[in-house]
Amino acid sequence: MKHLILSICLSLGLFLNAQAQAQEPLRIIIDEAIIEPLPFAAPSFQPESAAAGQMASDLARVVAADLTGTGLFREIPSSAFISTVSDFNAPVQYADWKAINAQALITGAVDVQGNNLNVKFRLYDVFSGAEMGSGLQFSGTVDGWRRMAHKVSDAVYARITGEGPYFDSRVVYVSETGPKDDRKKRLAIMDYDGANVQYLTDSGSIVLAPRFSPTGDRVLYTGYESGFPRIYVLDIGSVSRRVLESAEGTMSFAPRFSPSGQTVVFSLSQGGNTDIYSMDVNSGQSTRLTNTPAIETAPSYSPDGSRIVFESDRSGTQQLYIMPAGGGEAQRISFGEGRYGTPVWSPRGDLVAFTKQNKGRFHIGVMRLDGSQERLLTASFLDEGPTWAPNGRVIMFARETQGAGGSSTLYSVDISGRNLRPVNTPSGGSDPSWSPLQK
Amino acid sequence: MHTGHYISGAGHLGLIAWILLGGLFTPEPEPFEMTEVSVISGADFDAMVAPQQSPQSATEVAQPAVPQIETAEPEVESTPDDVIEQPAPVQAEAPPEDALPEVEQEVPTEAPVEELPPELVEPVGETAVLVPEIAPEAAPRPVERVAPEPVAQPDPEATPDPVEQEAVAPDAEGEAVEQETQEATAPEEAVSEIVTEATAAPAASARPPGRRPAAPVRQAATEVETTAPSGANENASTPVNNDDVLAALTAAQETVAAPSGPPLSAGEKDSLRVAVSQCWNIGSLSSEALGTTVVIAVSMNRNATPVVDSIRMLSASGGSDAAARRVFDSARRAIIRCGSSGYKLPQEKFSQWQNIEMTFDPRKMGFR
Repeated sequence: MKHLILSICLSLGLFLNAQAQAQEPLRIIIDEAIIEPLPFAAPSFQPESAAAGQMASDLARVVAADLTGTGLFREIPSSAFISTVSDFNAPVQYADWKAINAQALITGAVDVQGNNLNVKFRLYDVFSGAEMGSGLQFSGTVDGWRRMAHKVSDAVYARITGEGPYFDSRVVYVSETGPKDDRKKRLAIMDYDGANVQYLTDSGSIVLAPRFSPTGDRVLYTGYESGFPRIYVLDIGSVSRRVLESAEGTMSFAPRFSPSGQTVVFSLSQGGNTDIYSMDVNSGQSTRLTNTPAIETAPSYSPDGSRIVFESDRSGTQQLYIMPAGGGEAQRISFGEGRYGTPVWSPRGDLVAFTKQNKGRFHIGVMRLDGSQERLLTASFLDEGPTWAPNGRVIMFARETQGAGGSSTLYSVDISGRNLRPVNTPSGGSDPSWSPLQK
Repeated sequence: MHTGHYISGAGHLGLIAWILLGGLFTPEPEPFEMTEVSVISGADFDAMVAPQQSPQSATEVAQPAVPQIETAEPEVESTPDDVIEQPAPVQAEAPPEDALPEVEQEVPTEAPVEELPPELVEPVGETAVLVPEIAPEAAPRPVERVAPEPVAQPDPEATPDPVEQEAVAPDAEGEAVEQETQEATAPEEAVSEIVTEATAAPAASARPPGRRPAAPVRQAATEVETTAPSGANENASTPVNNDDVLAALTAAQETVAAPSGPPLSAGEKDSLRVAVSQCWNIGSLSSEALGTTVVIAVSMNRNATPVVDSIRMLSASGGSDAAARRVFDSARRAIIRCGSSGYKLPQEKFSQWQNIEMTFDPRKMGFR
C-alpha cells in the first residue's frame, strides 16, 4: 500500500515537472548582427496635378539621395520593381516589395497649385506588413521644394533609425578658390548637401571660422578687414554685419555663440598671451575666463551652457580642457599621444569632437567628456575643424590635400567612422559650421 | 474466575440500590433571592427617556441663492502683426573658376644601380672558423614496403535493403513548371565590424570582436537524425522490416504530438541563434538604440515559421522607449525575414521551440 502511494506521488511530481518544462519558452540570446545599409524603395511620388509631374519625380530623387547619403540606407533601383505605386491611397502589395528585399517603402504624392506646393508621404515596414507611423503632409512654396524633400527625408530617417533629423539644415563655410599662395576666401552658406550655395562676403579680405547662432539667423566669424583679426556678427537675412568691439592692440578670434545666443565666447590675444573671454552680445561687456601664460583658444559651450571645452598648451602640449562657463578650475580630458585641438561639444552633450595630430597625421575623432572611449574617425595629411550635425550623428570637417596644388574640401563622416564622403561644393571649402535644424 | 463474578454481582447490586435509594441523599434546593419590581405607565417611561433624545431642528436653514454670473464675453480685438519684409539675400556672383596651378612634379632621378655581384673578401691569413658540429645523419629505419600480412577488409557500411524501393522516375505527362525570372538585385553588403579610415591609428575604444566560430550544425543534424524517423538513406544502410518501420513511425508521430520532448541541444539552439543574427541588421540603428537590449517573444508554427502576429516585446533595458522600439522593429524584421521559409529546427522537439524568447543585445556590435 505504502509503495503504491509513493509511486502515485512520484508519478504526479514527474508529470507536473514535465508540464512545467513543456510550457517554458525556449530562450536564446542574439548578440551578433550584421551591419549593412537598409534597402528601401522610393518610387516616384504621385503627381496630383498637371503641374506637379516633374516635381513629383525630383522630390523622390532628393529623398532617396538624402537617405543613401547617410550610408545607413541603400536604394533599390526602380528597374528591380515588380509592381509600382499608381495610387497614393491604394493598398500596398507587400509581397512584391518583399520579393525584391525592400525593407522600407516610401510612397508620396505632390500637388502644385500656383506657387503653393503640398507634399504628403507614407512609410511602410514591408516585412511587418504595416505602416511606420502615420502619413504626413507638408505645405510650402514651389521654390522651397528641396526643403520639402528634406523634411520628408528627415521624417523617414527619424522613424527608421530613431536618430534626430538633420537634412533640413544649412552649413556656413569658407569658400576657397585659387592657388595656395594666393587663395581667395569668402563666407558661403549652402544646404547640408551642397545645394543652393550663396556667398555672404566678398573675397577682399581673409575670413575665418564662421559659427552659426543657435537660431541659425546670425553668423559669427573672424575677419581681417582692418588688418588684424576681429570678430564680426553677420545677419544672414539682411547680409548686414557689425564688429564686436575689442580693446585697442588686441586680437580676437575663434568666436562661438552660447546656447542662449546672448553670449559670445572667444579668444583674445594681448601682449603675446592668449586667453579666453566671454562677451555679452548686447552690452559688449566682456569677462576674462582664463588667466594663464599658456595659449588657450577654440572654446565651445556645452549644450546646456554650463561648461566650456577648449584647447590649451598649459601642460606643455596642446590638450583639451573643460571648465565652468563662468571660468574657474579646468580639468584636462585628453591624455592620448599627440596634440588635440578645435574641440566641439556634441549637440547631445555626450561627446566632444576634436582634431588630433599624431605622428605626422591628422585625425578627426570623438571622445567622452572624461576623455574615455576616444575614437578616431579619419586619418589624412590634414583634417581639421569638425562641426556637428544638429542630431549629433554626423560630423563635417575640412580635408586639405598635400602639395603646392593641394586644396581644401569639405567631408562628412558618421560618428561610427563609416560613410566618409566629400560634400559637393562648387569650389574648395574649409571651416564648416552646421546650422541648427531649420524651423 | 468466580471472584470476578462476585465482584461484578456486588457492583451491579450496589448500582441498583443507589438508583432506588438515591433520592434519600438528595439535598434540598437553595432559597431564591427575591427583588421587588415596580410597574410604571408608558407616559412615565416616555417622560424619563425624553431628555436623552436629540432635539429635532425646528427651523430650516435657508439655502443661499446662487449668484448669477454675467456671461458677457470680453471683447478682444485681434489684429495681424505687421508683415516684416525680409530682404532677400544677395546672390553673390559665382566665383571664377580657378586656374589650375601648375604643379611641378618632382621626378626622382634614378640612382645608378650597378648590378655587379659583391666581391667576397678572402680571409687573410689563418682565421679560426668555428664550424658547427654536424651530427651524423641517422640511418634510415628499415621499413617494410609491403605489409607481411594482408589487412582485413573493413565491414561494409551498407548492406542491401531487403525492402525493395521503387525507383523514382520523372513524370512524363507532367507539365514543365516555368520558373519566374527575377531580375538580379545588388549583392548585399555586410560587415561584421565597423572599419574606419583611422583604423591604423591608435584608438582607445575596443572594436567588437569577431564572430564566434560557426555553429556546430553538423552535430545538431546528427542528433536530429538519431531521433528522427527512419529515412530512405537509413533504409538503405540498415536492414529493417516493415513492422519495425511502422512501429517507428507510429512512435515518432506520438512523440511529435506529445506536449513534451527532449530539450534542444546546444547545437540546435546555436543554429537558431546564427540564423536569426544573420538577418538582424543594426546598420540603421541610432547610437542610443545600439545600447538598448530588448526581449521578444514569438510563437512558432509547426513548419518552423514564426507567427508574425505573435511577435511582441516583453521588456527592454538600456535606452528610451523610442530606442527600444527601433531595436524591436529591426529584430522583428530579422525574425520574419530569415524565418519566412522556416528555421532549421527538429520537428520532434516542436514543444520545446513552440514558444521562444529571444534577447536581442546589440551592445557588443555598436560603437560607444
